[in-house]
Amino acid sequence: MDALTGESNIVYDARGLVEPNADVPKVSSIDGEKAEFDAQNLTTRQINLELRWLINEQGITDVTVKNPGAKHSLGVGLLTRCKITFDGSLGYFGCGIIDGPEVHVKGRVGWSACENMMSGCVVVEGNAGSLTGAAMRGGDLIVKGRLGARTGIDQKGGTILTMGSVGSMTGFMMQRGRQVICEDAGHGLGDSMYDGVIYVGGKVKSLGIDCVPGEWTDADTEFIDRKFRIYELGTPPTFQKFVCGKKLYNYDNLEASERKLVL
Amino acid sequence: MSEQNVATERHNPELTVGISAEYLSGKRFPYQEDISTIEDVDLMEATPGQDLNWLEDITLLVEDGVPAVFDRYSNSFVKIYFEIPKGREDEIARKVLIKHLTSGNSYGIQLKEAHAKFPQPELGPWVKGSRTVGTDWKRSVLPGWEAPAGH
Repeated sequence: MDALTGESNIVYDARGLVEPNADVPKVSSIDGEKAEFDAQNLTTRQINLELRWLINEQGITDVTVKNPGAKHSLGVGLLTRCKITFDGSLGYFGCGIIDGPEVHVKGRVGWSACENMMSGCVVVEGNAGSLTGAAMRGGDLIVKGRLGARTGIDQKGGTILTMGSVGSMTGFMMQRGRQVICEDAGHGLGDSMYDGVIYVGGKVKSLGIDCVPGEWTDADTEFIDRKFRIYELGTPPTFQKFVCGKKLYNYDNLEASERKLVL
Repeated sequence: MSEQNVATERHNPELTVGISAEYLSGKRFPYQEDISTIEDVDLMEATPGQDLNWLEDITLLVEDGVPAVFDRYSNSFVKIYFEIPKGREDEIARKVLIKHLTSGNSYGIQLKEAHAKFPQPELGPWVKGSRTVGTDWKRSVLPGWEAPAGH
């Protein structure tokens, strides 16, 4: 079988774009609670089926995926504590809707990595595309490279930390959580944010509507130092802190059910 | 809220504006009333990574004038009726929430048995060795319902 390294090599069901083969490949080499498999000749669905079979049915707690090939939507919907290493890059929507895993991506990730992440730790060695951590609810997302536009859009919790810069409209409609940006931020930082904190180590091209400088506290220092220590990121730069100015803040007037959407 | 009031609300949803864990389950749990039942909860053990991880965003809130913690897995509040020691507000809120989740009392967890579409641990990432649910999902069928002609 030829390597499935491009979209044209994947067979889809024309009615719903679903990869029709739902059989678990069971190609992993398993050693105790550890497993490893080569994803080069597997489709996205097969890779995710293999991961879920290992983690949910075989009691594996540590999986290495060789040659992920930047395929989209890998490592999604994993709802338990485990360690996953992707020995390469991921495409769009990698590690979305996860709750518990500790993931290490040795390459880069495409758009919307860790979208709707609930808990866990994801460390990306390279860069990440736009919309990284979109609607994220909890956990740590560490990107050692740069991030694209709209990082953490609609973020409802958790921490997004990048050692590089971020694109425009980062933190757009942010509702809770924290972003740590060690280098520069693009235009419209924190536009229309409701709450949360954004730390920037470099220059900010422009602030978005209702995003204002915040007052630094001891809690900020403790938080920054802790994250840099845990992830062995060296000495943190000097940060500026940005928060919601609450001039557009109609939060208390929301219906009770709407208020819960941002908790 | 007394047991009687809880039952009344369950049968008259229009009586309540918010949603509480008691409303969803029809009863109050011991860890809502007795601090000694949550003192042994290990928050670090319950969360991934080397710090509190997602629990860092969990703080003590107030719902209907009562201290409460929000359970994002069932979109409801778990109200806390015992006296909370000063300076331990967020810690207590987190411990009550973890107790609620690990006990399987969150309504979101209770729905998994019937509605989880793929294999996953019933008690989520908080309990090691939790049984797997969602291995044999079948579409729910409303008794007496038939597909319209032509479908």
